[in-house]
Amino acid sequence: MITSEDRRTKISSIVRACRLISKMNPPRPELQKSEALYYELLASYYKRLLQAQEKGDFIAAHTVFFPSEVLYAMGIVPMHTETTTWTMALFLGDQAEILSAGAELGLVPEICSPHRGLAGAFYLKSLPRPNVMLWSNLVCDNTAKSGELLMELNDCPGFFLDRPFQRSKDEIDYLVGEIKQMINFLEKQSGKKMDWDKLSEFVARMDEHIKLMQEINELRKAVPSPFPFQGYLKLLTIDYLFPGQPEATEYLKTLRDELADMVKNGKGAVADERFRIMTLFVPPMYLTGFLEKIFQEYGAVSVVEPLFTLWMESGLDPSNPLESVAKKSFLIPESRGMYGPLKQQSLDEIVQSAKDYKVDGAMYWAFIGCRHTCATIKLVKDTLNEVDVPMLTVDCDLVDPTINPKEEIREKIERFFELLEER
Amino acid sequence: MVISQQSNSDLKTLDKFRKVNSTFPKTEQILEYKRQGKKVFGWLCTYVPEEIIHAAGALPIRITGYSEEVELEDGDAYLYVNNCSFSRSCLQLGLKGGYDFLDGIVAGSTCDGARRLFDIWHYYIDTPFHHVITVPRKYTEAAHELYYKQIVEFKARLEEYLGIKIADEALVKSVELYNESRALLKKLYELRKLDTPPITGAETMEVLDASFRMPKELFNKYLSELLDELSKSDNAYKSRARLMVVGSVMANPEFLKCIEGQGALVVTDELCTSTRYWSDPVILSKDEPIIKSISRRYLNNFPCARMVPSDERFNRILALARDFKVDGVVSQIIRYCVPYAHDLPLLRDRLQKIGVPLLALDVEYGTSGSGQVQTRVQAFLEMLEAKKK
Repeated sequence: MITSEDRRTKISSIVRACRLISKMNPPRPELQKSEALYYELLASYYKRLLQAQEKGDFIAAHTVFFPSEVLYAMGIVPMHTETTTWTMALFLGDQAEILSAGAELGLVPEICSPHRGLAGAFYLKSLPRPNVMLWSNLVCDNTAKSGELLMELNDCPGFFLDRPFQRSKDEIDYLVGEIKQMINFLEKQSGKKMDWDKLSEFVARMDEHIKLMQEINELRKAVPSPFPFQGYLKLLTIDYLFPGQPEATEYLKTLRDELADMVKNGKGAVADERFRIMTLFVPPMYLTGFLEKIFQEYGAVSVVEPLFTLWMESGLDPSNPLESVAKKSFLIPESRGMYGPLKQQSLDEIVQSAKDYKVDGAMYWAFIGCRHTCATIKLVKDTLNEVDVPMLTVDCDLVDPTINPKEEIREKIERFFELLEER
Repeated sequence: MVISQQSNSDLKTLDKFRKVNSTFPKTEQILEYKRQGKKVFGWLCTYVPEEIIHAAGALPIRITGYSEEVELEDGDAYLYVNNCSFSRSCLQLGLKGGYDFLDGIVAGSTCDGARRLFDIWHYYIDTPFHHVITVPRKYTEAAHELYYKQIVEFKARLEEYLGIKIADEALVKSVELYNESRALLKKLYELRKLDTPPITGAETMEVLDASFRMPKELFNKYLSELLDELSKSDNAYKSRARLMVVGSVMANPEFLKCIEGQGALVVTDELCTSTRYWSDPVILSKDEPIIKSISRRYLNNFPCARMVPSDERFNRILALARDFKVDGVVSQIIRYCVPYAHDLPLLRDRLQKIGVPLLALDVEYGTSGSGQVQTRVQAFLEMLEAKKK
């Protein structure tokens, strides 16, 4: 029989791991405060989840890019599904167990591994049982199709948020209507009321976050660039887990100030910067430390991630919070390459960022479970080749280490750096 | 005459459909249209309303990939290996000039494979007109309203491109024509409910394939002739088991022949190339614009696995299983066809509850059925036979 103690196990381990990693890996002196804050925040996210389970607070599991500002404004405890899976992979190395449980459920390997793993983790009852499941079609068929099985596995109700494909006024209006329906659903299920003032506050703060991320990106244009390779994934995690939250503002401000100091003092993320890399899509989560070492070794630094961190627009309006939450889903950098028509503008922005950030080469992480991003590999490569930026494609999986051995990945990256050196 | 499943029946009208399919993708009927100076538009998914294109005086044809499993070097290079082989096959055929007669391509935001096929087609294949329709994933009134506006916009773009106005009268005529096709196909499927149907699953697929590649006016004529011939024929197929095929897009009769060659008979299906294509008519109403009736039909049609909630689709599959007295279901899912892959555990569970076993096959688009498929189908049939005893 599965006990509540069993359900706590993985989350407790993540909390413990955050503290351990924070203690065991002394942060680089220039980024000491932001790195400590990062692990503190990550631990607090999962600690809150554990406490919610103990106290019987209302928990909503939700897929990536879901407007969790709404949950925070309602006092509902969020559980970001994909981040939870890759955090388990990164900190606990539990991929094999949860992926194999996913396979037992009948989920084939072609399905995105964070979703298979998550279903497996729920099947094993390794995660807190959510009170509701929330999912959307941002950003792919996997997110759109993952919710119903998770509802059945957790025996909980759910809501599917239908985010339309294009950005017309009709479509934004439709999304606003969807979010309203979701709020009604959540109010009914949780007995909690939406706090509109709070939502406005979070929207205002989210707008501030976008501007802070833009400032951070500006600082990354410096030569040498101050932002380490791992920083990119931390930035994503904070954005995914704490949208519009004060603790994220603190983190982003701290990071910005530290980076500004580094730029002022001419300090780079690597001792001798040789290669400025554009990162396309996300490298394997479980290999971040490994990749950081290779980058350090070769004097390489990821200076821009146009499909993930490059926010172009801000302008969220706290006086129209619902419209702003809807609008944000069209502003996220990920919608540039993952959901929505692949526009010339997106390609132009990639090219422009290659120039602005003085990129020497690009690395496209071809996550095997992410069909819609991989479909753009050739197009992006051809586009970058036109401005003489070579691109390396690395096959990988976000959480499953069996797809491509890390030594093979190392070899590919090393050959690419050699090629860049020859140029 | 009771005939074995392996035999080819002597249905003469089938030859007409086979002739159309034999020249795919540049069928004689499409080329004749072009010779007359008319436009041909390719559509990518069953959520694109053909009636609008037809009412504009153009020929809507379905874009499909190679009719057989082929090496997809170009498809792999342009769409990467982890996109479904249907998308890669279509794109490769397009890159090789197979669809160079097209004046336009229209897609829906239906699944990742289809939308990326459309995106990459746009950049690398020189088709003059491109349009993508946002297709909601729900059936709510708001979803219907959004989809309706999308279809209105599509009509306007088509009118602008062709320099014409699509009159309501033309739309009504097109709806009637397409509804006639649907009614005729329904009659064909009704015959398959018989204990000994007069036509096989593979033969039915040949008919359906032709329907995507020729004007409906001619298709309806051929299909009426076939139904007439069937009514006079004494064909009666007896089988070891009555099967339903479900899952990803599939247009290769050879695959069904492979299954039927084991002694089964495919009596119905849930495929976007057959039942999900024709099953629901457009119901015109005086109380709403014609476009609204069309858009309502397309969003409410027998759903693809992309739609939420999935039980809408599952319930229709269960109803088909009962109506066609199905002994077992064969799920054929193309690798990386994620919407269907996610549904598989849920569908298996629901079928199990009504006592219908499911055989799950991972396939590639265009496959005609490997030795492994044959072996697994054979074992499945043995299990079904044992269950009957």
